[in-house]
Amino acid sequence: MMAAPGLVLSNISKRFAGVSALKGVELTAAPGEAMALLGANGAGKSTLMNILGGVIQRDEGVALLDGHPLDLASPRAARAQGIAFVHQELTMLPTLTVAENIMIDHLPTVGGLIDFKALKRRTQDLLTRLGCRFDADTRVGDLGPGDQQMIEVARALSRESRVVIFDEPTSSLTEPEKQRLFGVIQGLKSEGVIVIYITHFLDEVFATCDRVTVMRDGMLVSTGPVSAHTVASLAHEMLGEGSLAGDIPTAVPPADEVILSVAKLTRARVLSDVSFEVRSGEIVGLWGLLGSGRTELLRALVGLDPIDSGSIRLKSSGHLVTVTPSQLSRSTAFVTEDRRGEGIFPGQSVEQNLSLPTLRQLLNRFGLVDRSRERSLADDLIGRLGIKTSGRGQDIATLSGGNQQKIVFGRWLGSQPTVFLLDEPTRGLDVGAKTEILRLAVEIANGGGGVLLVASEPEELMRVCHRYLLMDRGRIVGELGRGATRDDLVARVSNRAVDEVLQ
Amino acid sequence: MLLALAALLMAMHVYAPAFLSYRNLINVLVQSSTLGILALGMTVVLITGGIDLSMPANMALSAIIGGMFIQNGGDPAVGCVIMLASATAVGALNGFAIGYLGMIPFVVTLATMSVASGVAAWLSEGLSISKFPESFFDVLLARIGGVPISVLVTILLTIAGTWLLARSIFGRHLYAAGLSPRAARVARVPVQKVTSSAYVFAGAASGIAAILLTARLGAASANMGTDGVVLDIISACVVGGVSIYGGFGRLYNAALGAVIITVISNALNLLGASYFLGLVIKGLVIITFIFLDARGKNK
Ligand SMILES: Nc1ncnc2c1ncn2[C@@H]1O[C@H](COP(=O)(O)OP(=O)(O)OP(=O)(O)O)[C@@H](O)[C@H]1O
Ligand SMILES: [Mg+2]
Repeated sequence: MMAAPGLVLSNISKRFAGVSALKGVELTAAPGEAMALLGANGAGKSTLMNILGGVIQRDEGVALLDGHPLDLASPRAARAQGIAFVHQELTMLPTLTVAENIMIDHLPTVGGLIDFKALKRRTQDLLTRLGCRFDADTRVGDLGPGDQQMIEVARALSRESRVVIFDEPTSSLTEPEKQRLFGVIQGLKSEGVIVIYITHFLDEVFATCDRVTVMRDGMLVSTGPVSAHTVASLAHEMLGEGSLAGDIPTAVPPADEVILSVAKLTRARVLSDVSFEVRSGEIVGLWGLLGSGRTELLRALVGLDPIDSGSIRLKSSGHLVTVTPSQLSRSTAFVTEDRRGEGIFPGQSVEQNLSLPTLRQLLNRFGLVDRSRERSLADDLIGRLGIKTSGRGQDIATLSGGNQQKIVFGRWLGSQPTVFLLDEPTRGLDVGAKTEILRLAVEIANGGGGVLLVASEPEELMRVCHRYLLMDRGRIVGELGRGATRDDLVARVSNRAVDEVLQ
Repeated sequence: MLLALAALLMAMHVYAPAFLSYRNLINVLVQSSTLGILALGMTVVLITGGIDLSMPANMALSAIIGGMFIQNGGDPAVGCVIMLASATAVGALNGFAIGYLGMIPFVVTLATMSVASGVAAWLSEGLSISKFPESFFDVLLARIGGVPISVLVTILLTIAGTWLLARSIFGRHLYAAGLSPRAARVARVPVQKVTSSAYVFAGAASGIAAILLTARLGAASANMGTDGVVLDIISACVVGGVSIYGGFGRLYNAALGAVIITVISNALNLLGASYFLGLVIKGLVIITFIFLDARGKNK
């Protein structure tokens, strides 16, 4: 029999400590084809790709490329056979430069020493191809997650590949970068490369992929051409019967009462003269490009970054009182955009990760943490957020990315803060969980809290926000009301991109 | 680890029958008690991802200060309080520099170690401070049900400490801050305060160890805090599975580690091995366990 060209994964199974993560999964893809791999959080997508990428070993199953068995004993072995992997979580070495990170496993050398000229030239070419605006010499630690994500992509493209795996590559990218990434994927396809594309943005599937494989609970649900699907049919296959969370209740119009008032907040080169107010019950969207200061603003408010000047006032027993950032942080929930770097505590259980900010409410009369209340808090949150875990004792590091994200968000629900600062709170969540998180944000607002929401997806902001603050280069440059359309928002962002080119 | 300890005891029984005598066993426990208390303090610091090299020197200095007070006719009880207070103060100094000023633990505590041992030698003029009143020993060397006070104190501190680290807010914050200081800050853990408190605890542990050791030796001297003691403390902790990368470790394991290290030292003595061979063997033990720690971390 002639071996079919392309990739064949057949009957792949994997168990972790008695829990089945994959049960006889199949996946095939032909050269030049982009295969979308979909499934709810914890369905097993990353696990399957980690097997293909040599990161973990399968218990059972066959992996063939052009009819030949693949040796997937290690990432290095997989890489040598032309399998490139853009991981879901950033895997950068923060103290090295962009160039060193990209070429880390095949640094060009002359006479045994690193050829820095060639290194720089090759990296710069790649960066230009990806449309990145930073330099090859930049230290990676100085860049935000979006830029780091583009470096991950560059690393995968830095070598000839037969298969390129993208595990949620767009979860921290803004629109222009996304478009460039899609261009790169088209290029790969025309070169005959096999692309496997994992995402929770279902519309991207239609823009970039030819076929789609859907998984649920570690099993194959369906595989077929993209043209046979709609966004709704994909969501339905991913989540199964009746699990599509209901719609988001409309946020009631906010009260007139201002609960947070920020005046002239300034930090050299990062924020300048930022002033705004948030009212009780209000969800305010912060909209801008990567690096426009959205994240930096949230961080400065709660004292994670220093500020040079400016004042913050917070409603407290009926009056607006001037507070310091660290005082504000005591009544504020902050959901970080950097889940891996400053969200989770790897090595600790799901339970401990959930209870950390609310320990004070769990004390017994001896001033010690009441274990049974802690357990029931954890079980309650696991149920409310649909966290997929083998139990509250599971190490958070072994949870799927989306389920870790639910914990990073959910740990604040117990403490009833007045202000919620949400920086990409739905990053990596499946369509059902995304809706659930946005629903909770609305609930918080309807309960009288104030929410500042950063999201790279205009649709996401538009589902819940009362108002948008537009940010650019550390300033608030405008404001849009509830009625703003996607085009209004996108226009503001792309204008800046145009300005940049003209300059 | 209990298995390792059992195996060690069995081997000793075969090669040096004198080892398993009741007297020698109690003796080993008494010896481990000082080391155990120091290891408790060190563990708290290691959990933050730091290290405290100044503990032995701090112990010696506070023993000398308190010892001089008692020698000059001061009330022994007040003398003990002075030991505890002065050691805690040095710990607070370390804590402030490391927690709030962000200085590097290794360097800060190396410097404090040098200062403390310098002051200790200068104050004592290199001599040992002794001739304490009987009342000092009556209490501290007493036995309850045949078990010496120092052993009881160590056991109590170990149990209470283990429990508090697992169940108190401070303990939870300590592990969180050690595991990921950045994530801890985001989750409202007062990382600076927690980190500096760890060194205060290490200081207090040095003070308690100073009291017990002074009573046992009947004298205080600058020699109490030799370099070998740091090695023993760290060995006890790593043998007890405390991670030097921060975030993991249980106090009771560190205390057991202290017993194991003491047994090894004691065994080498009984077998007639030299002090230097002892250093080599302990060094190898540390490297083995750090290797295991690093391997566990990479998994
Ligand atoms: N090392 C491990 N130990 C135990 N369980 C694990 C381990 N790795 C993965 N799992 C479990 O396997 C299941 C599948 O996880 P996986 O990361 O593949 O999901 P995913 O489809 O990529 O989800 P997401 O969309 O959230 O990224 C999860 O329930 C997870 O808890
Ligand atoms: Mg995943």
